[in-house]
Amino acid sequence: MLRQPLSRALALSSPARVAPLAARRYADAVPAQPEKVEVFIDDQPVHVLPGTTVLQAAAQVGVEIPRFCYHERLAVAGNCRMCLVEVEKSPKPVAACAMPVMKGMRVKTNSDLTRKAREGVMEFLLVNHPLDCPICDQGGECDLQDQSMAFGSDRSRFTDIHFSGKRAVEDKDVGPLIKTIMTRCIHCTRCIRFASEVAGVDDFGTTGRGTEMQVGTYVEKMFLSELSGNIIDLCPVGALTSKPYSFAARPWETRRIDSVDVLDPLGSNIVVATRTNEVLRILPRTNEEINEEWLSDKSRFACDGLKRQRLVTPMLKDSRGNLAPVEWEDAVVAAARALRDCPPDKLLAVAGGLADAEALVALKDLLNRLGSEHVCTEHYFPTQGAGTDLRSSYLLNTKIANVEDADFVLLIGTNTRFEAPLLNARIRKAFIHKETDVALVGPKVDLTYEYTHVGDSASIVKDFASGTSSHEVMKRLQQAKRPVVILGADQLKSEEGPALLAYTQELAHKLQENLQDKEWKVLNVLQRTASQVAALDIGYQPGVGQALAAGPKVVYLLGADSGVVTRESLPEDVTIIYQGHHGDVGASIADIVLPGAAYTEKRATYVNAEGRAQQTLVAVSPPGKAREDWKIIRALSEVLGAGLPYDTLDEVRDRLSQVSPALVAYGDVQPNNYFAQARALAQSLQKPVSGKLDVQLKQLEDFFMTDAISRASPTMAKCVQAVLKQKNSPY
Amino acid sequence: MLQAIRSVARSSLSRSLPSLSSCSSRFASGDPSSRKEAPIIDNETLLAVHEGSTSANTIAVPAKVDISPITGVPEEHVKTRRVRIYQPPKNAMQSGTHNIHHWEMEFDTRQRWENPLMGWTSTGDPLSNMKIEFSSPEEAIEHCEKNGWIWYLDVPKTQKNEKPKNYGANFHWNRRTRVSTK
Repeated sequence: MLRQPLSRALALSSPARVAPLAARRYADAVPAQPEKVEVFIDDQPVHVLPGTTVLQAAAQVGVEIPRFCYHERLAVAGNCRMCLVEVEKSPKPVAACAMPVMKGMRVKTNSDLTRKAREGVMEFLLVNHPLDCPICDQGGECDLQDQSMAFGSDRSRFTDIHFSGKRAVEDKDVGPLIKTIMTRCIHCTRCIRFASEVAGVDDFGTTGRGTEMQVGTYVEKMFLSELSGNIIDLCPVGALTSKPYSFAARPWETRRIDSVDVLDPLGSNIVVATRTNEVLRILPRTNEEINEEWLSDKSRFACDGLKRQRLVTPMLKDSRGNLAPVEWEDAVVAAARALRDCPPDKLLAVAGGLADAEALVALKDLLNRLGSEHVCTEHYFPTQGAGTDLRSSYLLNTKIANVEDADFVLLIGTNTRFEAPLLNARIRKAFIHKETDVALVGPKVDLTYEYTHVGDSASIVKDFASGTSSHEVMKRLQQAKRPVVILGADQLKSEEGPALLAYTQELAHKLQENLQDKEWKVLNVLQRTASQVAALDIGYQPGVGQALAAGPKVVYLLGADSGVVTRESLPEDVTIIYQGHHGDVGASIADIVLPGAAYTEKRATYVNAEGRAQQTLVAVSPPGKAREDWKIIRALSEVLGAGLPYDTLDEVRDRLSQVSPALVAYGDVQPNNYFAQARALAQSLQKPVSGKLDVQLKQLEDFFMTDAISRASPTMAKCVQAVLKQKNSPY
Repeated sequence: MLQAIRSVARSSLSRSLPSLSSCSSRFASGDPSSRKEAPIIDNETLLAVHEGSTSANTIAVPAKVDISPITGVPEEHVKTRRVRIYQPPKNAMQSGTHNIHHWEMEFDTRQRWENPLMGWTSTGDPLSNMKIEFSSPEEAIEHCEKNGWIWYLDVPKTQKNEKPKNYGANFHWNRRTRVSTK
């Protein structure tokens, strides 16, 4: 009982204020509702749960109390004092962010006392803050700037400038992403709390007291986190700003386009800031069901890779074997000739990790019209048993947001920290706030939280599935009310992949059968790329191994850059057509290059690991002669005389909805079923396994460069360098 | 043979279009956030309605006003543009939310470039700066339909399950919320 204090019971039982998300309601999570207390915010009555802070109660009636240190996704610090409000019958103003409400409390958020308190706090903050707004990168989107306009005094009483001067603090070096100007710091400690709570890298802290207080890492050290960029957003002043974006633009001169990230399988929502047809920076956009308001460093900072190594013109291999720029007409005719002269069974198309659903469906339709069925993805998934016929076998069925409510998480052969950083942040959130425990089968990696390492042998999964394991994790799994099993899709590549999937399905099914909550989904497969789910939905065959062994004569690479298709693995006389946006692995082996558009340059559908379709929007136009990908394939089909029956994006999306309505249900995710059937079909595959599970991304330096865009990004290259340098430092 | 496949595919696609748009059900529901897309109106059904009304010798008053013929907006910008109706997202760099409690419409982005004269941004798109604010998505939808623009609704997923925050959790003796650094 002691481990379940009252506050936790309260936290779980707030059905009245729960957002109307069907996914969030569970059978056992609706105990008796505690009585609400009535408080008055500026004489407006509001009923809130006991324990709610004054600031949260005010937010419910739309009164926003100014704050610096308080952040709704971080712990309460209560040190900036900006949220002081007057409470009737209280002798002093109280800090709204830390004060729990009491019955009948009357809060005045705009009284003379409140305003005087705010003015005083603002004066103290500004005494120690430099007046460098004109050269500060935060200028125009600075909380201190805005709040000093709204709540500050209209004149200064600071006259000490000739005697002791303004306080000045030495800048820190925390790596190639974050620029620090520590004199601007107002000691809100948001970055410290983010680092220790969300990022799980407990390197930041304060040293000294009073005017000597400093925020920093004590010894000079890089902030070794995959989520480090978020402290730039959190910082309410310009103490932490983005190094790659420094002095690049002011917020009022950029245009912001809402879009979706494709550099990891989660499809985080982003805002792309552009000016003069150039992507300047990428910021997160709040989506409670995916990324909350965080963003991983790769998604945030790899955008400078969109300007480099781009394919800007169609190219053909000339007589000396060099790729030479040509006009679209020549390239399309050459590609059409190659496709037409190729026997259908020798034709192969391979889709890469950044391909959008429109291009995927157009390419598959084109190849089918030419009589070929060889359309593959780069990443493998077992086709035995139910294979990719049942959607639930290759998706993250629990859904990202629900992982927070899990009480036991079993990771099998996946390093979620680098494969899906925001999913890992969710698991960490559950670990801290819901006392969720985590176990890992696979190599020992740093997940930023404590976990039980069961071992790295695949046979452990077999023992779990058969129930013969005597490990304590097995007992915890069986006792769990909302267990989650996450299997890394990379493990399925090996010979034992089908058996491993079969055992995982068996284990998940057994756990699910014993659950009280019938809506809870246990089985999850974490894909590695943004395109894989859409490709499998459309009907691509996973993996290229068999198709390559058959010796194709023409290979059509749709952004396939992961290096699984090489010249060496193909016959001598093969023609390789590469369509994509970066001159990377695929383009270097191609005979014909067709330049496509990157994810910021097209309106395209991507399906994330949960099976949620989302669309990117056009932020900038494609460089040079590059074109949207489905249009290139449509043009090619016309030259081939096998014209595809769609001319506009709407018609392509109608075709997508014919294939699967889930592909155009933007923003929503369908609940998945048929777990029992998938498991039954896979039962014959349960063969003995003996291999060791290994993950590709083990260390932070492996995380930064994993795809064509991030490999072209100089910022990501600097990150790798800096991490390697930090590894050699004694700290 | 390919020709034959193409014609078959074409006809099957066009036949299935009305069922795909499923506009009637979307119109029927009162909640606009469940309407995600402008209804696709079939030409034949529209003509049929029109013929029927003239034969009955009654004066049909259009329920929907289409002002696109008299607005002076070039036809290209009515037919080929798509309007996104959305709530502006909160700026991740700031904590304030004062200017995001409304709905906005914007057109799809077209090419912009740096003008060599001053280095400012130029565009050939007359609608690129047309952002109109509305208090509700219904108003925005009505405005788009009046102007004949194809619209779609982008509903942000920002509702969250808020739980009471507690300063004491920082110092809890046996829970993981206990802070290590300050």
